[in-house]
Amino acid sequence: MYKLITPRIKKVAYFLVVLFVLLAVRLFFVQLGAAKPLSKLASDQHNMYLCLLPRRGVIYDHRKKELAVSINLNSIFADPLMIEDEESTAEKLAGALDLDKEDILLKFKEDKRFVWLARKVQPETEKAVRGLSIKGVGFIKEPQRVYPGGELASHIIGFVGMDDKGLEGIELQFDKLLKGTVGWRYSIRDAKRREVPGYEYKEIPPADGNDVILTIDSVVQAFAEKELESAFEKYKAKGGIIIVMDPYTGDILALANRPTYDLNNIKGSPVEARRNRAVCDFFEPGSSFKIVTAGAVLEEDVVQLEEEFFCENGEFKWGRHTYHDHRPHGWLAFRDVIKYSSNIGTMKSAMKLGDKRLYRYIKRFGFGMKTGIDLPGEVEGMTRPLKQWSKLSLCSISMGQEIAVTALQLACAISSVANGGYYVRPRIIERIQDKAGQVIEEFKPEQRYRVISEETSKELRAILRGVVEDGTGKLAEVKSYLPAGKTGTAQKIEQNGTYSHKKFTASFIGFLPYDKPRFAIVVIMDEPRPYYYGGTVCAPVFKNVASQLMRYYKIEPL
Amino acid sequence: MKDFLKTYKAIGFIFIGTLTMLMYVNQQVLIYQMGLKVKENHQVYSKLVDHNRILVYNVLNLKSPVSLQTKLLAKKVELDMPHKWQVVKLESSPKKFVYKEAVKKGFFANLFIIGREAEASQNINSLASLSY
Repeated sequence: MYKLITPRIKKVAYFLVVLFVLLAVRLFFVQLGAAKPLSKLASDQHNMYLCLLPRRGVIYDHRKKELAVSINLNSIFADPLMIEDEESTAEKLAGALDLDKEDILLKFKEDKRFVWLARKVQPETEKAVRGLSIKGVGFIKEPQRVYPGGELASHIIGFVGMDDKGLEGIELQFDKLLKGTVGWRYSIRDAKRREVPGYEYKEIPPADGNDVILTIDSVVQAFAEKELESAFEKYKAKGGIIIVMDPYTGDILALANRPTYDLNNIKGSPVEARRNRAVCDFFEPGSSFKIVTAGAVLEEDVVQLEEEFFCENGEFKWGRHTYHDHRPHGWLAFRDVIKYSSNIGTMKSAMKLGDKRLYRYIKRFGFGMKTGIDLPGEVEGMTRPLKQWSKLSLCSISMGQEIAVTALQLACAISSVANGGYYVRPRIIERIQDKAGQVIEEFKPEQRYRVISEETSKELRAILRGVVEDGTGKLAEVKSYLPAGKTGTAQKIEQNGTYSHKKFTASFIGFLPYDKPRFAIVVIMDEPRPYYYGGTVCAPVFKNVASQLMRYYKIEPL
Repeated sequence: MKDFLKTYKAIGFIFIGTLTMLMYVNQQVLIYQMGLKVKENHQVYSKLVDHNRILVYNVLNLKSPVSLQTKLLAKKVELDMPHKWQVVKLESSPKKFVYKEAVKKGFFANLFIIGREAEASQNINSLASLSY
């Protein structure tokens, strides 16, 4: 009989059984011991998490004009392992991307599967690279922050880094609200690591960033910057600041610094130009500070408007120090002491007040503390505690020496005089809203406390009107709108600690119209040349900005 | 006969199984094709949106006071706020003769009214409708 199962078949069968047993054992150990890492490896190979970037919020001005928006640009990368002819590829790319060939070659030599060639390139450049059709070169869309105004309000808006993270200004201060939340998609990918369409497992869409609406008006900002720029150029100053503020609400309508920089070309600007001097720099205010002394002596009723002070014909020895006026004066009524900016008259009035009370008013006017504006890097200035005052401090501080303030603090102080005596917190953000227009956070104007009485404010406004009408600030006069203000010319301190005779800080702080103020304006010029008086350098800037403000807001002449 | 039925059943099972699998594969291919189409359309859409954003940005850039000022200054024209005497105020146009008012005017007036007056409406593709 024919035997179906021969010994040879048996052997083969045994061999196969053993083989299957071995495979089963291997499978058992693989399943038991290496299941997790192997399944992870497999999952990593064909599954992918795709990061979905949110759109950064827009920064608008008060009239909802876009100041900062985001667009998408392509970044170019390479997979060095896929590059066939490194030499010729590098040469082609160097030409299209305007890069150094050697730099590209170095990138190709890196032991990586991904290297950036150029980030956020212009559409024309992208088109040129696409036209080369190089294997191993790819494109990734990335959001790019752009600023339609360029230099306009650069110190307020700030800028973002390559990774879209806020680095300066509002972009930094409100980064969390502006940037939005990243979304993701869990999907599968093919052998070429591309997403397989139609096989998305799960998706959490990104939440776009919120929009920020500022209090500044881009038109006011533009003409304020223009006037500041022309004075900055004319007087070859080291720096310049201008602030336009609503004295009742504290709204900043314009805030500009010089030197400045183009927000669309950060790399091309020096770091020095990026500093927001209005809040980050402090300086001795000089005679502009006399508004504080005048406010204090009038409020405390230690001096009457018509009370006369002997101004020592321009030279006054106090202790071991001799104080001077820029022009000699004899007897002057208190209103004229401020009008003609007599240092000697001011310090004599301060002596009647005493150091404790002067210090109290310095604090009440907001000096020596941050204003709390929503801009990064604000400093407190420098106001020494009363305990550290010397015998000369009262005299020096009353005329704006031995104290350092920020331009924004000066704007708040002059606003307190203009608005009837209230300290207002400066406001730069109006509201934050989401993409649907729903208000997330509203920043309402804050009137904090009374600094001086309505009566004192009225008297002080009249005195400051005199400064422009007939005093040191004549060049600030705007016909039919009756501005008021105070000039300041402060000597800067040299490195050896003495007052310089060559370097000055010129200032003009004022408001208009003087009886019903609508705007407070601060103009500061650092080291102007050859003229350095606040009344000569800064008052005309005030005048030009003020007259344009009146026309822009269609305010009827008085 | 029995064997014949068995074979027939087996072939039937194989046929149905194959058909089901083919349908499944076809369905997957269709899903993929649809996904690909959606992806392509989305890419075209996002490309157009991105391009539009760039164009809007260019318009904003051209409209910005700084840019206008620079251009005018280059032509030695100084950008300045106008004085009151430089502004010509136009009288507002008379109230539009609208359908509702015509209806109120009576039967004869109605004879001359065909329908609603044509009104310009905001174009959804206009710049104003764009949001970032």
